[in-house]
Amino acid sequence: MNIDFAPELEDFRAQVAEFFATAPTPAIREAGRKTTSVFAPFKECMEWHRILYDKGWVAPHWPEEYGGTGWSVEQRFIFAEEYRKADLPPLLPQSLGMVGPLLIDIGTEEQKAKYLEPILKGEDFWAQGYSEPNSGSDLASLSCRAEPDGDDYIINGSKIWTTYAHHANRMFMLVRTSNEGKKQQGITFLLLDRVDYPGMEIRPIVGLDGFPEQCEVFFEDCRVPQSGRVGEENDGWSVAKHLLKHERGGGNAASPTLMRYCERARAAAAETLSPFGGKLSEDPVFQRDIGELEADIASLAHFEKLAISGHEIARDPAFPSMNKTINSELVQRASTLMAQVSGVDGLARQLEALRVGSNVEPLGSEFDLISMPLYLNSRATTIYAGSNEVQRDLIARTVAGS
Amino acid sequence: MDFSFTEEQEMLRDGVGKYLEKNYDFETRQALVRSEEPWSQKAWQQFAEFGLLALPFAEEQGGLGGSISDCVAVAELFGKHLVIEPYAASIMLAGAALAASDDGPAQDWLEKVIAGEAIAAFAYEEGAGTAAPDMVAMIAEPVGDAFTLTGEKRLVVAGGEADCLIVVARRGEDGPLGVFLVEKTAQRMEARSYTTIDGRSAANIRFDATPATLLDGAEAALDRILAHAIIVQSAEAVGAMGALLALTSDYAMTRKQFGVPIGTFQAVAHRLADMKIAYTKARATLLYTTAMAESGAVKPRDIAILKGQVGKLGKAVGEAAIQTHGGVGMTDELSVSHYHKRLLACDAMFGSHDYHLRVVGQG
Repeated sequence: MNIDFAPELEDFRAQVAEFFATAPTPAIREAGRKTTSVFAPFKECMEWHRILYDKGWVAPHWPEEYGGTGWSVEQRFIFAEEYRKADLPPLLPQSLGMVGPLLIDIGTEEQKAKYLEPILKGEDFWAQGYSEPNSGSDLASLSCRAEPDGDDYIINGSKIWTTYAHHANRMFMLVRTSNEGKKQQGITFLLLDRVDYPGMEIRPIVGLDGFPEQCEVFFEDCRVPQSGRVGEENDGWSVAKHLLKHERGGGNAASPTLMRYCERARAAAAETLSPFGGKLSEDPVFQRDIGELEADIASLAHFEKLAISGHEIARDPAFPSMNKTINSELVQRASTLMAQVSGVDGLARQLEALRVGSNVEPLGSEFDLISMPLYLNSRATTIYAGSNEVQRDLIARTVAGS
Repeated sequence: MDFSFTEEQEMLRDGVGKYLEKNYDFETRQALVRSEEPWSQKAWQQFAEFGLLALPFAEEQGGLGGSISDCVAVAELFGKHLVIEPYAASIMLAGAALAASDDGPAQDWLEKVIAGEAIAAFAYEEGAGTAAPDMVAMIAEPVGDAFTLTGEKRLVVAGGEADCLIVVARRGEDGPLGVFLVEKTAQRMEARSYTTIDGRSAANIRFDATPATLLDGAEAALDRILAHAIIVQSAEAVGAMGALLALTSDYAMTRKQFGVPIGTFQAVAHRLADMKIAYTKARATLLYTTAMAESGAVKPRDIAILKGQVGKLGKAVGEAAIQTHGGVGMTDELSVSHYHKRLLACDAMFGSHDYHLRVVGQG
């Protein structure tokens, strides 16, 4: 057994840390600190995206020939660790993490030529049109319909939980093109070049945390070109399953983010009064709570490191589901602890102070400003990308007969 | 980075595993626990022949120069088979303390321990769930060149049978820690033996001005010795968790209620999923911590994380296994309850998960 990263990786780490210390603007740093979701504030996030693109570091997980960095998995892990240590806004996942890798894997040459470069440059931002009001984790039950008509499809129906659709200029979606056979067999995967087609309307939904992060998208006799199809008509399920591999599989380590949350909670607890007197950080119950959480996060980090080292754990068919379950529940626990540390100071609704560049002073510390919105927003982690109940069904199938 | 067992370790596992499959099935083990014997002499001699008793010791001391991951590779199997032989106690703890001292008697005893001719036991626990050596309160009074020990040590695994005891005590009130050797023949010492809930032989031992010899140099190695023993004990626990997961999933897929296997009910399926997640997390932490220890990078906090995680997750897996088995899970007849009791014992010894998780939280 050997724990060490190769020595030259420490040089790499220093190089990454140096760039993160100097490249981001103050607004980008503020956006990073005020990120209370998987989704960072849009404008500053895309500015940072562009800076990373100019450096050649925007898509470490893409193949080098398409603009990736050619880094090893260890380098990518180090990059993620330094990224979190610097509190930088995470890049938005739909374009770089989902539709990009999908097109690289199975898109046509035309699609690659047309879409990949604008994704890398941050000129395009894609929304993901999967869920529907009655199709969440049971995605195969979706009913938003696309009828072929000449070279076009005519779409009728709606999509929901399309994160940041109000910021997007393109959208990928699943539509029903047939009601024959198994419900998975009548689904088609479509790329929409615009989000302002006639008959298409995007309405933001205000979430628990007070922000419009999610959207609902309505289609009424909306005509889109068939050339946006990926794969064959009615074969969209296998395309979506392929994409899901990128959505759940990780490759993006979650533990550095979680450790950073704990560091922030610790620093805040050292400044917070305990109801029993003294500082909260000295309270045995707090110590037990944060210790339990940090130990669990350490186990996730161990799990992630075993996986990137090529250990058999990563070849377990339950790996993506275990990864999703473990890290989504830890995000909730970490944000719960943060809200607990904030206590009464977390109760003020301070949407304006949370805006990047706001001239409204927060009532308390920046930690108090973000802890409650993060807690509220993270109630979604066990719901999206296949609810944790669905993940447990999948994991249980791999236990049976083991 | 590499966290897999080497080819040699897999070969060793294969050999020991086959022996245990054949000679240490659950019924044989139960008959052994019920017998007058504290453990199987035959199995212990076989372990000596496999080289396991010599495994962690340096070649110049008659050992095989094995690493902590060699010991972990084997210890997972000990947990899987609920082995009651005192490997962690006699080899990882008492043996390692003997090996850490240059004194002549220590070396003589080590030679016998490695050969399987003598059993050494480690007297450490004082009743408070002692994990940190700082908390050891027992005092050794200097008498000329030697010392005498007074007080009680508890849960000394193999303490009733041991040919020599390694006792951790303080050299005078508020003095530094010392590691002491007490021979079985020593006067003014009384051992009260019992069987632990997980089938091992242990003793509470009272010392009343009992003559003891200081093992020079051993106290400096104490933290490392305890860390390695905790890793090996955790490996046993992880082995037991893996066995419980397999047993419970087999049971859930065969036991029928309302006309279908109970594993098809979502409530049961999700419990199985949680057991698998817990086992996977515990094993990832075991392997990672082992690799850290092997490279010399392990810190006390890493050991606390391992002990806390394995204790907490092991207990959860044991409880879930009993619940899934229903009434039969409550019986002494099934191995399920015995795995759970092994996990409880591993959790309680050298500091429970509550203790270690708070240590992690203290930063």
